[in-house]
Amino acid sequence: MSEQKAKAYRRGLITFLFLMVLTIAEYIVAVNFTSSIIMLFIIALIKAALIVQVFMHVSRLWRGESH
Amino acid sequence: MTSYTKPIHDDQHAAEHANHEPPFEVQLQSNRLGLWMFMFSEIFLFGALLVARFYLWGDTRPDLSQEVGLFATVVLLFSSWFVYRGQTSMEFGDRQGFKRNFLLAAAMGTAFLISVVVFEWNVFGLSGELFGVELFGHLTIADGVESGVFFAMTGWHALHVTTGILLLLIMWNKGRRGEFTPDRSWGVEGSGLYWHFVDVVWVFYYPALYLMGTVMS
Repeated sequence: MSEQKAKAYRRGLITFLFLMVLTIAEYIVAVNFTSSIIMLFIIALIKAALIVQVFMHVSRLWRGESH
Repeated sequence: MTSYTKPIHDDQHAAEHANHEPPFEVQLQSNRLGLWMFMFSEIFLFGALLVARFYLWGDTRPDLSQEVGLFATVVLLFSSWFVYRGQTSMEFGDRQGFKRNFLLAAAMGTAFLISVVVFEWNVFGLSGELFGVELFGHLTIADGVESGVFFAMTGWHALHVTTGILLLLIMWNKGRRGEFTPDRSWGVEGSGLYWHFVDVVWVFYYPALYLMGTVMS
């Protein structure tokens, strides 16, 4: 049980770190290099997909997992 | 004088009704589907404002404080992470962890609200710098239709953040009173889902408001 919990926590931490890296990257890219709408939109899509998949557990909708 | 005696069939009806209650798993799936449909409908609202931004601003953006925008975004990401941790704690029966993380998430959400309303909107008309960084925004609602889009986008989002914070605090209080168990914690899951949705909206709003295009002259 505690191992599963630690695994879930670790998954959340890795996702959070990914999101932070992508946020800092889009900030640095936009401020220093290019403010390309397409590029920034792609980064935003990746971030949104990570949140929907990991934080929001979208797969529970069709898998019917309990808590 | 007549006296009322409860008909036997009332009790039978209640018992039959109880037997017809859908199982908890079915209710849970219905709740999830309903909330996702609600969030899907919200996409149209936020999406329309995003389209208005591109229609009116095109490849430009107002001169907003980059530091305040980045701070607000980071703080909101932290809050989403804390909500995830709170949900996970509850699912594994760690009530203390749930309470701690939901409170932290609500605090981070409040910090986001302050950074938008007090600093970016500058509702108190303040001015000041910190390490050469200008802390308070200059854009006002009277600056024309361009600023109107900014206040509409951030305003609608801030309204959702406010309701999200209230939901998190209500669930924290219910959790504190022991109303959730690892198996029955839809309130925790639902409020968390709503909070993450608010975060997803900001994931698109942040670059659209602060990063995309060149600064308007």
